[in-house]
Amino acid sequence: MLKNKTISERRDYWSIPPIDVYKIFGTSEQGLSQQEAQQRLKTYGHNLLPRQAFSGVQVLLRQFKNPIFTILIACAVVAGFFAELEQSIAILSMIALSVVLGFYNEYRAEKTVDNLRKSVSLKAVVKRDGKQSEIDSSLLVPGDIVKVYVGDIVPSDMRIVECNSLEVNEATFTGESFPVEKTKETINIQHPTPQQLTNYLFMGTVVEHGSGLGVVFSTGKNTELGSISKSLTRSHPETEFQRGVKKYGNMLITLTAALAIGIFSLNAIIGRPLIDALLFALAVAVGLVPELMPAIVTISLSQGASKMAKVKVIVKRLVSIEDFGNMDILYTDKTGTLTDGKIVLKDYYSLEESKDPRILSYALLCNAAVIGDKVTGNPIDAAIWEYALKNSEQKSLDAYTKVEEIPFDYQRRMMSVVVRKGEDLIFITKGAPESIIPKCKYVDLIERSGSVSDALDSINTKFFNLSQQGYRILAIAYRKMEEKKIYTIEDENDLTFLGFLIFTDPPKEGACQAIEKLKRMGVAVKILTGDNELVARKICEDLKIPVKRVVSGSDLAQMSATEFQELVEETTIFARITPEQKLDVIKALKKNGHVIGYMGDGVNDAPALYEADVGISVDTAVDVSKDAADIVLLEKDLGILANGIEEGRKIFGNTMKYILMGTSSNFGNMFSAAAASVFLPFLPMLPMQILFMNLLYDVANMTLPTDNVDEEYTQWPKKWDIGFVRKFTLFFGPFSSLYDFLTYGIMLFIFGAVTLEKAPLFQSGWFVESFWTEVLVIFVIRTRRIPFLTSRPGKWLTILTLSCIAFGTILPFTLLGSFLGFTALPTDYWVLLILMVLTYLLLVDAGKVFFYKICKF
Amino acid sequence: MIEFNLFTWWAVAITFGIIFLILVSIYLYLDSRKKRREGLQNRTGASKFLIEFVFVWVLLSLLILYIVSIDLVSATLFAAGNIIVEVFLLIYLIKNRGQKSEQSRQLQIDNSS
Repeated sequence: MLKNKTISERRDYWSIPPIDVYKIFGTSEQGLSQQEAQQRLKTYGHNLLPRQAFSGVQVLLRQFKNPIFTILIACAVVAGFFAELEQSIAILSMIALSVVLGFYNEYRAEKTVDNLRKSVSLKAVVKRDGKQSEIDSSLLVPGDIVKVYVGDIVPSDMRIVECNSLEVNEATFTGESFPVEKTKETINIQHPTPQQLTNYLFMGTVVEHGSGLGVVFSTGKNTELGSISKSLTRSHPETEFQRGVKKYGNMLITLTAALAIGIFSLNAIIGRPLIDALLFALAVAVGLVPELMPAIVTISLSQGASKMAKVKVIVKRLVSIEDFGNMDILYTDKTGTLTDGKIVLKDYYSLEESKDPRILSYALLCNAAVIGDKVTGNPIDAAIWEYALKNSEQKSLDAYTKVEEIPFDYQRRMMSVVVRKGEDLIFITKGAPESIIPKCKYVDLIERSGSVSDALDSINTKFFNLSQQGYRILAIAYRKMEEKKIYTIEDENDLTFLGFLIFTDPPKEGACQAIEKLKRMGVAVKILTGDNELVARKICEDLKIPVKRVVSGSDLAQMSATEFQELVEETTIFARITPEQKLDVIKALKKNGHVIGYMGDGVNDAPALYEADVGISVDTAVDVSKDAADIVLLEKDLGILANGIEEGRKIFGNTMKYILMGTSSNFGNMFSAAAASVFLPFLPMLPMQILFMNLLYDVANMTLPTDNVDEEYTQWPKKWDIGFVRKFTLFFGPFSSLYDFLTYGIMLFIFGAVTLEKAPLFQSGWFVESFWTEVLVIFVIRTRRIPFLTSRPGKWLTILTLSCIAFGTILPFTLLGSFLGFTALPTDYWVLLILMVLTYLLLVDAGKVFFYKICKF
Repeated sequence: MIEFNLFTWWAVAITFGIIFLILVSIYLYLDSRKKRREGLQNRTGASKFLIEFVFVWVLLSLLILYIVSIDLVSATLFAAGNIIVEVFLLIYLIKNRGQKSEQSRQLQIDNSS
């Protein structure tokens, strides 16, 4: 019986001959017995990948991961404790609104992605008790002998013991577009990379050509794919936006606690009743907290997600939208994201670079693709046919009749056919240039055929140059033949070199424009690929991505942590790197203060997608990659990215408006309330009045997510800068305090509200002034331009804000006003108030010009 | 007597508010200069300083206006003073926006290059 230890610890089956692999796994060419297989299934479990099940509860729980909620809940509890039930309910309602909205949007997005998942179960052809049968791949166990054919998805990790022209597409694992040749031979490398493991088959890869037989050595979570899936079940790393909110939350807690303690102490010292002092301090503390922030953020994000859904972008995690807008580096995998992930024939030409039509005709004749409704078979042969059909160049074949075919094999690395054209018999060979060139004796030049020895240097140089440009190259050669009974590989000699076929994995349509647009938006595009350096360079050249530096995975492995930290900044391409190295690159850049986006669709991209601030995948990506992503593009159009980024920036812009305005004006008002409480014989505003004003202010801000954002704001990525928020609060807060103090002066010395009996007049005057300045300043602060003239606020923001102003203005004259302790204000006051508020708004605008001149954001 | 005390308190509070704002402005200004690693003397000639701190001078004027008009209990002086300051600020802002647009354009060009 095979032990667990063997499975989990031993992985070097690449260096062991097939016969010994059978022995290690207690199996044979006849396969396991059914009984043994059942036993092993009990021991090792089903061959299924670990993945986080889609759970509504989890989506709900993650809505509470917001530090502002902690402050708000604390405020609600304390308010409730001091019988301020209305305020307590209001705060809890704000929290509930944010949670419900966030849950609804994220649940819907998760559900959509879950539905995208293919529910088809994979089948595997397995040999047990000497009989071959098809079983559900989840029932595979270590030691099973599995047969794979063209088109099969490899059902588990296997050591190849037999193979026949086996080629596997491992793009999803390694990022390499071209299929990889597989072998059963042992490999004598101590620490091979996945690309070097040519006698392994990895779960999730696709058989492109030939067939093979393998011994299963790992199943389920023990496979390479499984270990990647397993790493994604840990909790999601904090995004840049979440880190910013956390810092902001900490700043608020410090400020609130300091003010509350200070106010309580001062009021207690001057002899106010302790309970009044405490209630007032509490009201000031609650007044400082922008309780609507979570709701504003969630409404903004939900609206953004809806807009993005219309352009077929699914947002799985709402919080990622803001980082989507703020990312300054977008790392992308190459295959399937920048390129189509499909091989195409780019061109063909002779040694003299003339487009000899015989090259294509001969390549079509010497071809194993199957032509039906669709072209199928070996991807390289299929690419030749697709090229010909697209350019209607297959008609030239009518003059030829196929006589004989010598199939491709990996020893020769070429295939040959014999065709008849009229009286002539032509022997055509197509294959790897390094195999064909030595078989050539002549070269077909324009008017004559020369000796190959003369042209050998030119052929090799051309081949080398094309390879250096990242192309996959095949050579075509031919010879005239006499009629024979049997044609063999011995005839693949004395050939005449005709030309090259040049293959590539082309960039996606529109990718170049999309990258250019991203560049203009301040997003640097860089490549992390498992593919080789040359191919990555070529794609950068095609997409006009300036390459500063290229680093390979093996170079990375030899670097110190400091070197690595510096190198990541200036490197454009990381080639031949493993999923773990991709993760390291992203972590290092995050540490350097960047907001990182990562776009990929393969298994090897999943850890990076998970770690990045914004993980972007496509609907055709493997499940594990879609699971790890925050955003899924339903269309492979990179242009959508730019729209998403713009949307993210608008949302961030409106969120920051609320935070900046809310914090600074709240700070100003509460600061002046605290100061006034010391020198006035009564409270400058009753706790209930403060809380009501706060609530009214929040209502006015409810439509802030619909506000227009100035174009220049979305042109460049922004970042949470808590230092900037602090400076803004420090600078703009006192403006509001100043006019509060002025109002105190007016109420005390012009309207004589100095006695306890006249306290309601004082409080009403300050309430209206405070509310006007707090709300109207939104129109000044929301833009860096001239308010209304060069930057129009959103329609709904204007309507709701002005309605709230109207309500706040008439409030002292109403029954509700009387209930809250207000009284009617004299006419003279309104004249002074209008003048005062106008001066205030102009002064803030002048201050804004000064502030933005010296503080960049 | 209590009114005198209250007025003193009030005058001290509003003066403190304005001084605090001026100090914050100077701090932010010096901080930004330090970050740009520019010599103060190169950029802050007397006229430049006067222009860049216009709103600070306005604040000081307002402080005098507010203290005097409230001390005299004169709503008329208060209103007239406010109107004069508003006109001045409007002129300043219109003139300053022109320069600001130029700067924004320059910043955009810098970014794109």
